Amino acid sequence: MERSYFDKVHTWGRISCVLTLLMLLGVPLAITLHLNAWPPLPGLLKGLAAVLPMFWSVAVIETLSYAPIIGSGAAYLSFVTGNIANLKLPCAIAAMKSANVRPGSEEGEVISTIAVASSAIATTALLALGALLLLPVLPFLTAEGSPAAPAFQQVLPALFGALLAGYLRRHWRLSFAPVLAGVLALIFAPTLQVGVLIPITVIVSLLGAQAYWKLQGQKIK
Amino acid sequence: MQDFRQSSFLYLLGAALALFIVAQSLFFLRKAWRRGRELGISPATLRGAVGSSVLFTVAPSMAIAATVLALSNSLGLVLPWMRMSVIGNFSYEATAASAAAGALGLPGGLSEPVTDPAAFSAIAWVMTIGSIFPLILLPVFLKKIQAKIGKTAQSNAPWTDLMGAAAFIGLIAAFVARALAGQGEADRAGDGAGVLSVLTLVTAIAVMLLLELLAEKRGWKWAQPFTMPVSMFTAMGAAVAFAQILPERVAFLEWR
Repeated sequence: MERSYFDKVHTWGRISCVLTLLMLLGVPLAITLHLNAWPPLPGLLKGLAAVLPMFWSVAVIETLSYAPIIGSGAAYLSFVTGNIANLKLPCAIAAMKSANVRPGSEEGEVISTIAVASSAIATTALLALGALLLLPVLPFLTAEGSPAAPAFQQVLPALFGALLAGYLRRHWRLSFAPVLAGVLALIFAPTLQVGVLIPITVIVSLLGAQAYWKLQGQKIK
Repeated sequence: MQDFRQSSFLYLLGAALALFIVAQSLFFLRKAWRRGRELGISPATLRGAVGSSVLFTVAPSMAIAATVLALSNSLGLVLPWMRMSVIGNFSYEATAASAAAGALGLPGGLSEPVTDPAAFSAIAWVMTIGSIFPLILLPVFLKKIQAKIGKTAQSNAPWTDLMGAAAFIGLIAAFVARALAGQGEADRAGDGAGVLSVLTLVTAIAVMLLLELLAEKRGWKWAQPFTMPVSMFTAMGAAVAFAQILPERVAFLEWR
């Protein structure tokens, strides 16, 4: 019996994930060997402890929530190439909508895979081009005392302000508790690293969202 | 001495990684295209999916390039470029790199160039290990998820959406709180919470809300992908403008 297209996609996807995993781990390994600079173990473990709980739980949430929407081929490719929420997911949804195919159908699977693959190629090309073009001007832009320096000192407030506003219109009620929790934590522990702050604000945010969900459910009842 | 963060060795590594990603995407594209033709989907429809996706990609790629630029002062261009090309996500990479720099006790965190090769390699390891979990989850679970949980997730979509949004808001909130009340390095202007960080934050939020509202009211669907990068760049521009316009003691006032 011939294997279905879906079965084949899973085989290709699994191979692609394993190859990418090896390739990705090869990058820091190559850097370490090339520079002959092994990372200090306590610092490395502390850094990992700060990000792994959050990142790995988000990975579980994302796998469960995105994969059913965009289909298998697109999911394998999206998770390999990244930038899912801000790029691959909207691309796949827009392409399926304009081709008038249903998510979950084989036609939907084909169209969303094509959309995500095209987007991944375009992003890689644009970023490569960007890295080459930015290189000569970079030192002038970021040097201390340059008029442009404040822009780079304030890049995080600019980036996260725009990101927050993206969620504010639909979820403004969810934003108060985590921001307040973060500010309070910083008032009591001013030197708190952002890596320690993140689990606090995320847990407060998830608890707030769960409470809001229950409250809404009661209102509907 | 050549800057190790921008060495030709690193560029070669980056190029290999980029080629690998493109090859993989081409493979999936070709297989899906062939299957699409077998299913009777017209070449025009398939070409439309490619064209619209490429167009859609341009604006968010600007935001991604901006993140590469933002991280490049401390890490050089190549490492952030590699990390943003594979699994990278703009909030994750900045977070992972900042957390690693903090854990290593680097003076100035990510606002200063990383000059210690061991710290650089530690940051590369944290950014990589932080992001690889989906590559372990997907081969093991995706087939089962698609077969069984898919239906449940779709029927529970509003809850999944809400929790996903809450997780992201929580992550963003940590950085927003830092801009409002975080203590920066004492000897560095502009690093702690103060006039400039709050003005930048408020500008980014206001411009983004305004642009989204405008795009929606006018029916400018084409403008929607541009709202995020434009807001970010406007806020960065505003930081430069406020630093120039306001008296120095006001602009660089920090309250923590």
